[in-house]
Amino acid sequence: MNILFDFPEFFTINIGQHVESFIKWLIHNYDFFFDAIKEGVLWFLLQARGVFMWFPWVAVIIIVFVLGWKLINWKSGVTFAGLLFLIGAMGLWDEMMLTLSVVLVAVVIACLIGVPLGILMAYNSRLEAMVKPVLDAMQTMPSFVYLIPAIMLFGLGSVPAVFATVIYSTPPVIRLTSLAIKGVSKEMVEAGHAFGSTKWQILSKVELPQAFPTIMMGINQTTMMAMAMVVISSMIGAKGLGLNVLQAINRINIAMGFEAGISIVFLAITIDRITQGIANKYKYPK
Amino acid sequence: MKNKIFSVILILLISIILISLTVSAAAKDKIVFADPGWDSVRFHNGVAQTIIEEGYGYPTEVISGSTAATFLGLKEGDIDAYMEIWTTNLGDTYYGPIKEGIIIETSVNFNDNAQGLYVPTYMIKGDSKRGIEATTPDLKTIYDLKDCWELLKDEEDPSKGRIYGSPPGWKVDEILRAKVKSSNLDEYYNYFSPGSDSALSAVIVAAYEKGESIVAYYWEPTWVMGMLDMTLLEDEPYSAEKWTEENGYACEFAAMDIAIAVNKDLPERAPEVVEFLSHYHTTSAMASAALSYMMKNECDTRDAAVWFLKTREDVWTKWVPEEIAEKVKEAIN
Repeated sequence: MNILFDFPEFFTINIGQHVESFIKWLIHNYDFFFDAIKEGVLWFLLQARGVFMWFPWVAVIIIVFVLGWKLINWKSGVTFAGLLFLIGAMGLWDEMMLTLSVVLVAVVIACLIGVPLGILMAYNSRLEAMVKPVLDAMQTMPSFVYLIPAIMLFGLGSVPAVFATVIYSTPPVIRLTSLAIKGVSKEMVEAGHAFGSTKWQILSKVELPQAFPTIMMGINQTTMMAMAMVVISSMIGAKGLGLNVLQAINRINIAMGFEAGISIVFLAITIDRITQGIANKYKYPK
Repeated sequence: MKNKIFSVILILLISIILISLTVSAAAKDKIVFADPGWDSVRFHNGVAQTIIEEGYGYPTEVISGSTAATFLGLKEGDIDAYMEIWTTNLGDTYYGPIKEGIIIETSVNFNDNAQGLYVPTYMIKGDSKRGIEATTPDLKTIYDLKDCWELLKDEEDPSKGRIYGSPPGWKVDEILRAKVKSSNLDEYYNYFSPGSDSALSAVIVAAYEKGESIVAYYWEPTWVMGMLDMTLLEDEPYSAEKWTEENGYACEFAAMDIAIAVNKDLPERAPEVVEFLSHYHTTSAMASAALSYMMKNECDTRDAAVWFLKTREDVWTKWVPEEIAEKVKEAIN
């Protein structure tokens, strides 16, 4: 009867072993390749961090106010400015800027990969069938499973943090870009053909402008997911709000944890409303 | 046709589930141990579990989670016993509930451990087998690190070197930060917070695999230190006078008490188990031996615990009354 309860041992396969030796092989033989990626991402990140840390806090609050006012209404502008001011009042301004720099770099890389891939997937259904399970894996695989190999390849610090954030947050922009391009009305595309447009012209002058609001929603989702990775990325050495959360939970310090946690929420709300505002502003007239 | 196949499958499924319903539940109140995620604590769990199950007849269970989460569980009573508490590292997180009487320290499990800043031994002596030359033959104390910061460059800030510190929130994090300042190492190095202990061990192992230079905080006994050949950098000898916050903890770490603690309700529920835990005392050498037995034989920590019970009767039979020891011996042999 035991065969019903215990999975028979002769079916045992050690898949994980092969993955491990593959990673070790990568570390030993393709170190230079990963070093090059690391250098590139690091350069970008340091530039972004430099700009963010240099910006006076008053200027940031004014910019956020103006964005909120122009994109939505003046009440939103005041709210966003107030939220950021609260983060500063809790003494977490620098941490917020560090977090923002990691999120920004990750979102830019995610878009650079995601938008073109989404367009290709809209045109090619076989590619779509292949990419979709990969996207599912990216979103559901527990992050530390791929983070430990990532640390071995990229070292500890902000680079593997960006790597982890990109993996987790790219799927929405890919999915929504593909959806947006597919959703462009057939008549519009046909009209474009009738006027003798090339493939490139149809994409850039007909499809992309129409798809823009949906793609923007994808970018919005990507940014939100990047914000959700802030704590995880601090577990591998990224500085910022996540590190404060970690310190707080390791000490079971509820006050400190709440301040850092609510700051992440405030920052996320502000980014979310502003990017949504951009998406709504540029809705293509029907 | 389709319906027939479907009903056959359904009947099969139901009969399999009905057969499996014959499993019954255990009777005595179970004792729950914490598994905060490293091997030596799993080994001690295994030893205690085997003795409690076979000798005292209580069923046992292990709950795993992060250090913070399992420790909270101990305070709340979801976890009954914690076999390895690194007391000074937890600081007030540990001493607070002890003072309030929420948890009770039963004994010191072992106190012959080491911690501090480590470098791979090949940085000092080289490794002819792997073709690594010694890059810093004169590196002996943490103060010598000043001369070799360029080897340990911080990629995110190349004007300084990088010292990998303790996971955030541990007491030793504050100690190391103060120590880096008091030894003036902060002029040459950035103190880098690795975020979590799994990230810290991963970066040490990766640097070691590649033969790179690294200086990082770590502690023994751990599988990382057992597997890699690392050297602990020396510091001034310990003195209580220097080991204060004002003086920046300017001396070596004193050996720390690794304590066993139980929830305040356990002595009422299972006084004989608490009595047994209060005699529990090992050395880090015993844990290391069992862990290397485990690595060599590719078995789990519970098997390593049974191996320990078989080979070190001289140690553990002193923890329990004779008749209990007899029962355990009978069960494992």
